[in-house]
Amino acid sequence: MSEDKTLLEQTAADEWRVLPSGLTVIVRPMPGYSGTHVIYATRFGSIDRDFRMGEKEVHLPAGVAHFLEHKMFEDEEGDAFAKFAKTGANANAFTSFDRTCYLFTATQQLDESLDVLLGMVGHPYFTRETIAKEQGIIGQEIKMYDDSADWRLITGLCECLYHSHPIRSDIAGTCESIAEITPEMLYDCCKAFYAPNNMVLAAAGNTTMEQILAACERHGLMTPPAASAQRVERLWAQEPMTLAAKEKTITMPIAKPCFGLGFKEKPLASGDLRSEMLYDLILCCICGGMSPLYRRLYDEGVTNPGFGGEVLRVDGCCCILFTGESDVPETVQKLLLNEIARVRAEGVDREIFTLCKNEKYGQLIENLENVEDSASQMADFALSGQTVAQQIATLAALTAEDADAALRDILDPERMAVMNILPDGTASDEEEEEEE
Amino acid sequence: MKRTEIAPGVHLSWDPAQKFNRCRISIHFSFPAQRQTATAHALLPLVMERGYADCPDMTQLTKKLARLYGADLTVDARPFGPNHNLCVSVTGIKEPFALEGESLTDEYTALALGAAFRPYLVDGVFDPEAVAIEKQMLKKALEDEVNEKRLYCQRQANREFFGNSPAAVRQEGYLEEVDGLTPAALTAAYREMLRTAHIELLVLGCTEEKTASIRDALLAQLATLDRAPVPLLPSLAMPRQAPVDKTEYFDTTQAKLCMLFTLGEPMRPEQMAAVRLAMALYGGSVTSRLFLNVRERDHLCYYCSSSFQSFTGSMAVNSGVEHADAARAKAAILKELDDLRTGPITDEELEDCRRSLLSGMAGIEDSLGGIETWYYMEELRGGPIQTPDDARRALCAVTKEDVRAILRQLTLSVSYLLTKEEEDVGR
Repeated sequence: MSEDKTLLEQTAADEWRVLPSGLTVIVRPMPGYSGTHVIYATRFGSIDRDFRMGEKEVHLPAGVAHFLEHKMFEDEEGDAFAKFAKTGANANAFTSFDRTCYLFTATQQLDESLDVLLGMVGHPYFTRETIAKEQGIIGQEIKMYDDSADWRLITGLCECLYHSHPIRSDIAGTCESIAEITPEMLYDCCKAFYAPNNMVLAAAGNTTMEQILAACERHGLMTPPAASAQRVERLWAQEPMTLAAKEKTITMPIAKPCFGLGFKEKPLASGDLRSEMLYDLILCCICGGMSPLYRRLYDEGVTNPGFGGEVLRVDGCCCILFTGESDVPETVQKLLLNEIARVRAEGVDREIFTLCKNEKYGQLIENLENVEDSASQMADFALSGQTVAQQIATLAALTAEDADAALRDILDPERMAVMNILPDGTASDEEEEEEE
Repeated sequence: MKRTEIAPGVHLSWDPAQKFNRCRISIHFSFPAQRQTATAHALLPLVMERGYADCPDMTQLTKKLARLYGADLTVDARPFGPNHNLCVSVTGIKEPFALEGESLTDEYTALALGAAFRPYLVDGVFDPEAVAIEKQMLKKALEDEVNEKRLYCQRQANREFFGNSPAAVRQEGYLEEVDGLTPAALTAAYREMLRTAHIELLVLGCTEEKTASIRDALLAQLATLDRAPVPLLPSLAMPRQAPVDKTEYFDTTQAKLCMLFTLGEPMRPEQMAAVRLAMALYGGSVTSRLFLNVRERDHLCYYCSSSFQSFTGSMAVNSGVEHADAARAKAAILKELDDLRTGPITDEELEDCRRSLLSGMAGIEDSLGGIETWYYMEELRGGPIQTPDDARRALCAVTKEDVRAILRQLTLSVSYLLTKEEEDVGR
């Protein structure tokens, strides 16, 4: 895989700059494309709840990062969506456990759209009134996710696996937690986490580094941070490797039971994307579409085709989650644990491991094809201090022996928690009566 | 995109799409949906996707795709109003990215044609073992529909809305019929599709020479078949009716409301530009009335958006609301529609929406999926095929009155609400 670097380098080529302000800028010009996708991302997500800024300690209720994302679209003059409407750009934003991203796609007036984006993220504006207004909308969003069985599986597993790590809390928080939010908290978060040296600006498509840098210049991002800028330190409670709970069961209006199995792993070092990629390959070998386990579960019809595993890693937390639907979750659990034990004892299947690497290579190439995926991939890797080309090289260097060695330390049944969601009976056929 | 008829009822559409890293070969089969074969046609994609004569085993096929750097073989089915579409597609990285100089396009061609035309048969019918397994998968999918409340609400509303019209055929299949479906019945439905469907071969990202060889391979395959393509059903529209309210009870945290409106007569292709702008103004964008007023100002819904289905001349408004606010949300949704029909539309909001649509259309040819969907929808809709640039020009000519004319034509037929029992609301 490593011999054909010229073409890979050409395809994965992106331009990096770290500006005097500390902002990392990455640009991939894509000739022939009409649109440009831009992502402005900060390393600030729902898990960043406790931090020290200079001498001040700040403790946040759950859901502040997500709340701030909503509020960032508003200033004294109104709504940033209205400003994007003047440029024709399609804008959005999202918050995850460890980052908040603001983004747009534009096929015209790119400079103007960049000005809206850099202007809104750089100039927060909050009042008690505007905060109160947002609580209603976000309360609705929280309720929408409360009805998603897939999401409840993930949050339930995190509650079982962790004693105190903030990954236990939902990204959007709860109606109660967001009621505690004050303008001061939001301004503190902006000061701490929306500083340019904590952020990445990625652009892919019909643009150039010069165009992006000119926008940064217009927004004061070329100047070094003030000498008075305070040091920010995230505060983490000690998280033991034991489980908070072995099992949790809830009911919901669903037709079939859903289950999740979570394994608590040692946290990965910041920037260790290699281990994350290796764990992904291991999961592919254990229960991916080419694995004997997947085939057995599929043929016997004991899970849905979407059954699979994923790695969830953020600062201070790494876990491996398997989720699916099944009438016999105990059977699936037993088969999965047996397969993990077998692969650990015999080593990963060499053919499947190589094919999984092939698939991941194709995925990386695919993600360089359209402007949205391309910018997203660049921003994702850049937040961990890496380039796409480095990722391809890391993938090429991974071996089955690496997987065997990693398997000795992960997926320990002693560190496994189980989450079940059972039908509450309201979604069964006999209840489907309609009334006019 | 160049389109030519290569045999009766068979077209080739080709775009060299040189800027992309991947290429895509799609074979679309379109034919009128029929009630009696709906479940068979819902099951077909599952059986076809797991293997074919040259590679019958599902796991071996997955490995074969992985060997091709994670190429994607998809067989999926979609309703287009009263017609049914089954699409076999293969997407994979272009040959210059192959690490060992493999001839990837030939492999993609063999995969696409194999999955479409050379199924794995046992004694002349689809492999009974594969059929039995995939029947269970289809059953699960149909049973699980209720897990996704937004989709479930929309489907239930559609079932009420379309009544007994040709668009009422449940193209996702009928749960109660799955067990009784035999390999022989499935095979018969497949053969009938091969015989009667309109076929569209779409080749994106391949050279002209390679495209010609793919075309020839398809024609060679078709030469072995007894073909008699039947005409597709024209687009339709449900007649106007007195609005019907339906309520279904679930113990959810948030209620879901789906409202369906009819145009009363089939949409004409030349109305498309006005429809696009009408949707952007009413509920299809973040500068729409539903987003700005019902969601942002009144806080009645977390999501509240409108969309238009051109093949059925219908508009859906979907929203997620507080249980106690459902009636208020419905009234607000109707009021916004009425305000647009009869009240002022500012130049600013009209131009904001137009600008956003124009910008989006300019980016359609930035993705393989965007190109394929655009042109295939144009072909199915009838009338002269518009490029995205043609559509942009048409959009520039749309006036406020054109938008009002579309919105005035829409009348409410069905409101479908998923909510808690009344005594539980507010709990």
